[in-house]
Amino acid sequence: MSPGRRERGLVRPYVVTDGRAYPTRNTFDLVTLVMAHPDRPLTGLSPEKRRVMELCLGGALSVAEVSGYLELPVSVTKVLLGDLVDSGHISARAPIPPAELPEVQLLQEVLDGLRARL
Amino acid sequence: MTDHISEAVSWCLAAALLVVLVLLIRQRQITAGVRRRNATLEDSLRARDEEVRHLVDVRLPSIADALSQAGPLPGLRDEKLAGTAFAQSLHAVMEQFTRAVDKAQTRADASAKAALKASMRAVQGLANEQQVSISEMQERHDNPDVLRDLLEIDHANAQFGRRAQAIAVLCGSWPGRQRLASSLTDVVRGAKSRIRDYQRVQVHTLIDVAVVSRAVEPAVLAVAELLDNAARHSQPNTSVEVSLQPVHNGACIVIDDAGVGMDGLEVQRAASLLSGQRAVDVARLGDPPQFGFAVVGLLAARYGFSVSVDTRSPYGGVRAVLFLPTELLTHVDPDGRPGTAGQDPEGAEPLHTLPSRRTRPPRRAQQAPAAPAQAQEPSPIPHRAPGSYQAPAPHQAPSPHQAPAPHQAPIPHRAQPPAPAQAASAPEPAPAPAPQPSPDGEGTGVYGTTAGGLPKRRRRQAAATPPPGDWTTGAGQTGAADPDTGAFRVRSAKETASRMGAFARGTRSGRSATQDSAPHHDEGNRQA
Repeated sequence: MSPGRRERGLVRPYVVTDGRAYPTRNTFDLVTLVMAHPDRPLTGLSPEKRRVMELCLGGALSVAEVSGYLELPVSVTKVLLGDLVDSGHISARAPIPPAELPEVQLLQEVLDGLRARL
Repeated sequence: MTDHISEAVSWCLAAALLVVLVLLIRQRQITAGVRRRNATLEDSLRARDEEVRHLVDVRLPSIADALSQAGPLPGLRDEKLAGTAFAQSLHAVMEQFTRAVDKAQTRADASAKAALKASMRAVQGLANEQQVSISEMQERHDNPDVLRDLLEIDHANAQFGRRAQAIAVLCGSWPGRQRLASSLTDVVRGAKSRIRDYQRVQVHTLIDVAVVSRAVEPAVLAVAELLDNAARHSQPNTSVEVSLQPVHNGACIVIDDAGVGMDGLEVQRAASLLSGQRAVDVARLGDPPQFGFAVVGLLAARYGFSVSVDTRSPYGGVRAVLFLPTELLTHVDPDGRPGTAGQDPEGAEPLHTLPSRRTRPPRRAQQAPAAPAQAQEPSPIPHRAPGSYQAPAPHQAPSPHQAPAPHQAPIPHRAQPPAPAQAASAPEPAPAPAPQPSPDGEGTGVYGTTAGGLPKRRRRQAAATPPPGDWTTGAGQTGAADPDTGAFRVRSAKETASRMGAFARGTRSGRSATQDSAPHHDEGNRQA
């Protein structure tokens, strides 16, 4: 019931996606933002999908973050998110275009920091 | 005179004749007696010869056979010999032979078990290692084609590991892995992960009960064997239904299949195996070996749960019920979940944690070196030991860049106890650079790391404290520039996106600068 804290490696990803490796839509990127629709019923959802819903009810989350919280590979997360979009539980939004990105200075600092480190 | 002489002679002759006659008669009697005795002795000798042959041909082989199929041992062939010293000697021979056979059998069994156990342990280790690598590959590759193949390999590997584990358990080994307390649903799904036809297994109910850490792996293994039996003995187009039921003093996992069912004899055999009382002989599991029930019985007896398969399923097949008593159950707090709306996320972080959750399997320690950022250097990125997940409201120095390790592990550190050997084998001593939270401070956004070694940020709500400068120095500025609105911070999504974008570009330029670190470009590592 609490996939976020659960033992890694106990439930394998193919059980989570029921054997599927291809997301139903190819629109997800690491930085795609997903938002939950709070009015959809949670019955019939797998524990991971419930968890996605719980995570996203608070606001938009990026695919990468969802994947981090679920402790699942990004590609597996995309399959789950694809299902949830199909069933109308969440909607996805493309990330903010670069031109609108605020905080150029922040980006520069991150970039510098990463460069210095890698 | 002559008369006297002749009379005397004739008397003598008569007497001599009489004597001879008497002697003759006696001789005859003696001879007859001797002949009779001789015949008796001959008979008895023949009987003994035959008895010995009977011993060699029938009785001794029957002892050797009796070890596999119990039955009455054949007795003496000739009842006349019963009670004689000869019969007792034969009995003594039988007993010695029995003892010798027993001993040889035990020794053969023990050595077979020891050999199997040792080799299966090696195989198990390899399977676990491979699973770790597969998990890492799944994290690394984003291409669905690659993922599909990896999922297949992962599935095969999980079945392979289960087989090795089952044989090892049968040979007296422990199930192997120490796991965290996990919910019953996860136990069943973990078991589902390890069988071939996992897609036919339908888990319906979700109940809020967890299995204590020490019983997780045995329960998973037992359920996997039961599920495998159910799936194997039913049509490929039928489904195997699993339901979880809380009961008076425990919880039940009920597995129904729509297969052929078992007849009375099979049920009896299964019940005796499942009771765990019967010693299991690895050499006599049949061909192909059927060790499912034997493994389940062993685990059930060892860990104190019980399994029964004697009910018919409403679908026509077998209904297997695994009963876990209350001692093996616990509650896992859904900690780590973000607070639901209107709840402060930091407040939702439970202060009480199960002690078992601090001990993570050493597997994680092996995973750590795979994280690219960590492998290079002890980074000032606040990489937490995952044991600090539970730490409530961690407080951090505002700029960890300058002070990489302000508090050095005052609380139990997960990576320390498990195995020094593993820590030594890891290229990067993971725990060292981790700044530990002090228990009294304000919350920060970072409360753990992803498997890739990046810090995980708790999404914050507006009412929470200003975002700390956790891993981007700009975050603090953003927070400062962004006044609280009393609702969810609208900008958090943008911020998220901007950080992710910056990070993605940063790593890309970092990689192109370090030239070599993208060997799998064509395999879908597009996210980098």
